[in-house]
Amino acid sequence: MATTDDGAFWTIIAYLIAGLGFWGGMGFLADHFLKTNFLTVLGMFLGMATGLYLIWIRFIKESPK
Amino acid sequence: MAQPGFVPPDSNDFIFKPIFGSSIFMTKPALMIFFSVILIVVFFTISARKAAVVPSRLQFAGESVYGFVRTTIGQDVIGPEFERFTPFLFAIFTFVLTNNLFGVIPFMQFPTMSRIGFPVSITIFVYLVYHYVAIKKKGLGRYLKEMCFMPGVPKPIYIILAPVEFLTYFAVRPLTLAMRLFGNMFAGHLLLLLFTLGGEYMLKSALFVKFFSVLSFGMAIGLSFFEMGIECLQAYIFTLLAALYIAGALADEH
Repeated sequence: MATTDDGAFWTIIAYLIAGLGFWGGMGFLADHFLKTNFLTVLGMFLGMATGLYLIWIRFIKESPK
Repeated sequence: MAQPGFVPPDSNDFIFKPIFGSSIFMTKPALMIFFSVILIVVFFTISARKAAVVPSRLQFAGESVYGFVRTTIGQDVIGPEFERFTPFLFAIFTFVLTNNLFGVIPFMQFPTMSRIGFPVSITIFVYLVYHYVAIKKKGLGRYLKEMCFMPGVPKPIYIILAPVEFLTYFAVRPLTLAMRLFGNMFAGHLLLLLFTLGGEYMLKSALFVKFFSVLSFGMAIGLSFFEMGIECLQAYIFTLLAALYIAGALADEH
């Protein structure tokens, strides 16, 4: 159905933003306090992976009826 | 197009002077909000007052809007418990739709939702409703547990997943809900302003340039119809997502 597809689209966007934002932000803070410069990027990778993993669980593994 | 003297429209064009005195609550967008409420109430009261088995044209129009929200958004998305959310969804849909459509109605020509305060305030209502519904149904502890801990994932990974899920529900959802509506209306109105002001400027320039103002005005008219579509679509998407969040709050598990 068209309605659930629209919903899925925005749910996916939300996961990607949340993952990237949270772990990227964590990395940035860690960089700031530990005076390093690679943790932001690592955090963003981790966040991206987390977002994709959540999408996979929600939409593929538990495939809705 | 680098002509000296043309002032492109910017975000200052979205700031209006107070109409009466110096109260910032009496600007054009604020009055349009009040007007939209009056308009909606009057239209649906009239369309429902002489309700008959064989509907008049007005009654048919009112009922088809209501039926659309009730069936397509409410019933299909929320499921068996949709009936008690129908008034809420219907109010959101008509309110957003009317205020968006003000953007292309002559003499109004300003989508109220392109001022960020209005989408934000509707979003606050949606936010409160879907969290309240979930907490009332499941209790706070179970709600947070189901939200953050999806079943079927190895335990250590929850450290990574749980904060992201939490953030999705409490920050990203309301943020995207408000920003999407605001951004679409803001950008659309800016685009219309650009082509209209550009055409006007070219009309005042040298003779050769005058011919091209026709193109610019043509673009403005074409985009107005395009905007009308966007405005309806955004009202629909906003309501649909509100319904989806409520449905997610009611669902027993993911």
